[in-house]
Amino acid sequence: MSNNTTQIRRNLWDAPWGYVESFFIGIGLMLTGFFLEISSSGSLDFTVSYPYNLYFLLGYVGFLLILYFGFRNTQVVRWLTKVPASISSIVLITFLVMIMGIVPQIPSENNIITNLGLNKITSNWAFLLVLFQFLTCLGLITIKRIVQFKTENIGFILNHLGLFLALVAGMLGTGDLQRLSLNTFENKHSWVATDINNKEVELPFAVYLNEFLIEEYNPKLALIDNVSGEVVENDGKNLYLINKDEDYIYKNYQVNVEKFHTSSGRIGDRYMPVSDIGSPPSAYLSVKNIENDSIVKGWISCGSFAHPYQSLKLDSKYSFVMTIPEAKKFSSDIDIVSKEGDKTKTVLEVNKPYKYNGWKLYQLSYNEKMGKWSKLSVIELVRDPWLPVIYTGIFMMIAGAFYMFWVGNKITKN
Amino acid sequence: MTWIDFPLYSGIVFVLWVVGLVVLLISYKKKPLIKVANILFALGWVVLIVFVAKLWNELDRPPMRTLGETRLWYSTFLPLIGFVTYFRWKYKWFLGYSFIMAIVFLAINYLNPETYSKTLMPALQSVWFVPHVLVYLFSYAVLAASSIVAIKGWYDSYKGDFKLETLKLADNLVYIGFAFLTLGLLFGALWAKEAWGHYWTWDPKEVWAFLTWMGYLIYIHYRHFHPQKTKQSLTILALAFVVLLVCWFGVNYLPVANTSVHTYTQY
Repeated sequence: MSNNTTQIRRNLWDAPWGYVESFFIGIGLMLTGFFLEISSSGSLDFTVSYPYNLYFLLGYVGFLLILYFGFRNTQVVRWLTKVPASISSIVLITFLVMIMGIVPQIPSENNIITNLGLNKITSNWAFLLVLFQFLTCLGLITIKRIVQFKTENIGFILNHLGLFLALVAGMLGTGDLQRLSLNTFENKHSWVATDINNKEVELPFAVYLNEFLIEEYNPKLALIDNVSGEVVENDGKNLYLINKDEDYIYKNYQVNVEKFHTSSGRIGDRYMPVSDIGSPPSAYLSVKNIENDSIVKGWISCGSFAHPYQSLKLDSKYSFVMTIPEAKKFSSDIDIVSKEGDKTKTVLEVNKPYKYNGWKLYQLSYNEKMGKWSKLSVIELVRDPWLPVIYTGIFMMIAGAFYMFWVGNKITKN
Repeated sequence: MTWIDFPLYSGIVFVLWVVGLVVLLISYKKKPLIKVANILFALGWVVLIVFVAKLWNELDRPPMRTLGETRLWYSTFLPLIGFVTYFRWKYKWFLGYSFIMAIVFLAINYLNPETYSKTLMPALQSVWFVPHVLVYLFSYAVLAASSIVAIKGWYDSYKGDFKLETLKLADNLVYIGFAFLTLGLLFGALWAKEAWGHYWTWDPKEVWAFLTWMGYLIYIHYRHFHPQKTKQSLTILALAFVVLLVCWFGVNYLPVANTSVHTYTQY
């Protein structure tokens, strides 16, 4: 560490390079990047796919190894393996990501944002150049610590190598990452999916949807203002789920749910249990006004695409309505059929994807207008061959985090 | 019961903790009283834990969906950090601050009545939900404690009696907080892969979580290599916490908010 009392006066670019030189270089890279953004019109597609991304990875790691073993004593490599270079590149990446965190990453009409590419930071030259310097620092110091291996360096290596692997594999892997969405309909085979750019992609297998199922929560009870139609009380926060025989208090109304049907139809002036397509839930309420003890009774229903809703008017000011039930769980019972005709049965559910021949199948969505009567289930298919490398990096960092916890725990007064 | 009983429980906790704080203050003069203060703090904490446990049980879902619910966890974790740190470092001011912060967050919840809603959207119904949120909030609470140390450090250097051991306490907290922050971030990535098909999508909340992580990363590297430059370290620590606050509350108010899957439920 430099001793403050006998600090030697040094000129810019005298060895070793410090923070001023580091930020000079870093900001220089960033400005070069922005300049490239301005001069290159249109969007650039940086993705490289297999096998070129693998060649690039091997070439890059080879380049880092040659830099370290062949040119360790040059000014540049010494600078790259020292703290000022790391900190300046971390700061500049933080700066650029902060722009991403403020400027929405969508097409913009603002000329400055568009020309500098501030709305597409992840493929911005400035970001890529700064990231390249960051990764080079990270790679070189990782090599340095591995070469000078000591047991107490294990945590360091886990954190730094893990981050390096996860970042590099994540970036290079985008070229091989496939994310497709497939519309499947009940009792039909589907095998033509679409990618992000809405291009059709034929799958090496077909998906047969046996049944799409939704489990719903009970609807909620809301008190609304007759004139504005807005939910009153606590900004609409405190809504109760409607359950039979329960009592609720809304403002000065005491509500008792006398009857509740999850699926019903209107017959005359009342609702009866029916299980047709599009039959909505309904409830029979008894509402007592606590102030004057008057009682109002009546039916409410949230309606559906096939039936109108029903509200219960209490007085000139307020009415009770039923909200549309929220989905608790939705799932697709499917058969995956290979080209050879082999069938695999499975049920897809949110948070429960299914692995099949290098693909992962996810329950994505359904026809929300139709709700639980939807015959459509949208399945997402993802192929990410680089995932094992990324997970290796992630698990190394998780192990590194435990190590940090242990180290942090040992810091005491002395 | 759900949140309906919150005023009762938080009232009991509030009284116990405020009396505890007063006793803590007196204990600067009469040393043995610190034990009484700790007993009052501990009693209040037990009451709060009982409330959280009952709430979880009655809601039929982990109470971690709304901003108010995250504040409840924050108030629950801060006393733990206060206690552990007090028993290791013997700083009374730190114990006091942890409880003041916990009281402030309980008060915010008292003033903003919470949702009684029992619904939980399918994407949140995952084994990762609880570890992701708990690890994050624990980390936020520890890192908030470290920023309190930064403020104390600034105040001390302003008065001219800054001690290096104050920064060591900050390091102690930042390392632990950062370890949990890393775990929260990575658990989030693993969960996202299961729920949405990709581990990282630069969602605004992810962007700010990444920035928070980078902020503390700068602090750790700077501290490690410049242990004598205390003022700069304190400044970095304070700035990192500002980023953390943007990540926790601020994202909802930024122009990028409507593209996020992470905005806390309002209803």
